[in-house]
Amino acid sequence: MALNPQVSSADDVVEAMNLSTVQGRSLWADARARFFRNKAAMFAFFLLIALIIFSLFGGYLSDYDRETVDFSLIGANAYKGVPSFETGHFFGTDASGRDLYARVVQGTRISIMVGIVGAIVAVVVGTLYGATAGYFGGRLDGVMMRTVDVLMSIPFMFVLIIMLVVFGRSILMLFIGIALISWFDMSRIARGQTLSIKNKEFVEVAHAIGVHPLKIILRHIVPNLAGIVVVYATLLVPQLIIFESFISFLGLGVQEPNTSLGALISEGAANMSNGTPWQLTYPLIFFVLTIFAFFFVGDGLRDALDPKDR
Amino acid sequence: MLNLIIRRLTVAIPTLLILVILSFVLMYTAPGGPFTSERPLPAQVLANIEAKYGLDQPFWKQIVNYVTGVVTQFDFGPSFQYKDRSVNDIIAQGFPVTLTYGFWSFLIACIVGITLGVFAALKQNSWLDYLAVGFTIGAQVLPNFVMAPMLVIVFTLWLGWLPGGGWNGGAWQNMVMPVIALSTSYMASIARITRSAMLEVLNSNFIRTAQAKGLSMRRVVIRHALKPAMQPVLSYLGPAFVGMITGSVIIDVYFSTGGIGKEFVNSAFNRDYSVIMGITILLGTLTILFNLIVDLLYAWIDPKIRY
Repeated sequence: MALNPQVSSADDVVEAMNLSTVQGRSLWADARARFFRNKAAMFAFFLLIALIIFSLFGGYLSDYDRETVDFSLIGANAYKGVPSFETGHFFGTDASGRDLYARVVQGTRISIMVGIVGAIVAVVVGTLYGATAGYFGGRLDGVMMRTVDVLMSIPFMFVLIIMLVVFGRSILMLFIGIALISWFDMSRIARGQTLSIKNKEFVEVAHAIGVHPLKIILRHIVPNLAGIVVVYATLLVPQLIIFESFISFLGLGVQEPNTSLGALISEGAANMSNGTPWQLTYPLIFFVLTIFAFFFVGDGLRDALDPKDR
Repeated sequence: MLNLIIRRLTVAIPTLLILVILSFVLMYTAPGGPFTSERPLPAQVLANIEAKYGLDQPFWKQIVNYVTGVVTQFDFGPSFQYKDRSVNDIIAQGFPVTLTYGFWSFLIACIVGITLGVFAALKQNSWLDYLAVGFTIGAQVLPNFVMAPMLVIVFTLWLGWLPGGGWNGGAWQNMVMPVIALSTSYMASIARITRSAMLEVLNSNFIRTAQAKGLSMRRVVIRHALKPAMQPVLSYLGPAFVGMITGSVIIDVYFSTGGIGKEFVNSAFNRDYSVIMGITILLGTLTILFNLIVDLLYAWIDPKIRY
């Protein structure tokens, strides 16, 4: 560190030191560096970006859309609907003569969207719920967390199916259903973390100078939960995608002409013995890649942000 | 211990009640009942049918009747779709099937998963360890509805070894694929959790002491390491059980094994409310009971937990 020889007063020294000291590494910079070093996580990260770009813009590569039925292919799918670049059906066609490529693009988009929307709801609701329970503690905490316990031990897949039956099968209903059940785990994690944060000095100081409790939660507790919440939100996304695909596989989720990877896998599995293996392979590949990418990014984030938890 | 059981039951019973009321309210608010069809029935006929099934009574009376019927006589009422079958008949027919392959799946997932995890930890960084770690990573992305069609492609369409579906009175050939499809991803999770718990335990002081006094590795693992390492595994068994219960729906639909999962999905499409409710309550009860058992096992395995 080279000090300027003209410096005379103490203030100037301090200023000069501030300018020339090594830039301190924040927690986040550290985490970023750890994440970049993790090869599996970086690979999954780029794969994930590629998948998202594919799901958003992949449709422009094809001349076909997801719902136009090619009547000349119905019944002749096994030999005329084969994947090929000449016909422009990159992934072949499905049993109704629709372009499978366009359908896989949309299926991937819906699946990723379900996962991300569900995770966002989980983050917002779960964090606030858990932070509130953890911060106030006592009887309120007991009641709130027991409620979560009770809700968690209900097999919600069945309740969600009942909801889809009662209110009609639609994407919106699926979103609401998944949002309703996605935040339980997150609230527990947020509560646990809040318990350890709330006795730190900065919270005590805020409390002492009379900051409103809700403001303490929002301004001081929640930002400090960010790391662990991001990790678990990323790991939640693939679980929600699996959840949605499960329901769509049963035919209770996303409805025609829209589709999701689960619905496509189900269709492919049903047509397996008709000699159209591409109907199963392509959706399956994209499903596995999507889940794989999210899991590894989440794993990498956990290693980067929460190194002690291994 | 008795105290713990009582405390857990006081949570379990309200949970069940919430489940019943929740599904009942959902059904009750449904637009269009089970008897709405394309061609509307004459008003008088509809009224008669609803009177027969007690649907004309006020809401609170319906729910009280239903709950007392279930609690006092295990009577889930008649099916709205099949006039000659009650919900009890449907459950009695399908549930043993689900229970049979569910039991085997759970058992195999536990035994194979724990064994794999323990050996992977004992031989850390050996080929066995890498195999186990690779397996747990691979199986994460293969949930039951992905496994099922893949198994059928390999074992039925290519190799022709196993029948692609059916139950056949529980013959082992019909059971192999459902059990593999249902258990794989949970087996992988159990193996992963066991491995990391075992690694942690093996590095602790009391294990070094046990080794220092000259016990064989086998004895150290069985007598000292296994019990504490099982704690995180136990707490995962609850969610795994729920996952397998829900997964059985896929198995029943895909392999036509004839379990209650198929009935559940069919009744969801047919709006057969009483059947959906009956199955939901049955499986909910099972889940809650199982969680109770896990809690008790947990208290037994970890002496620090005293409720």
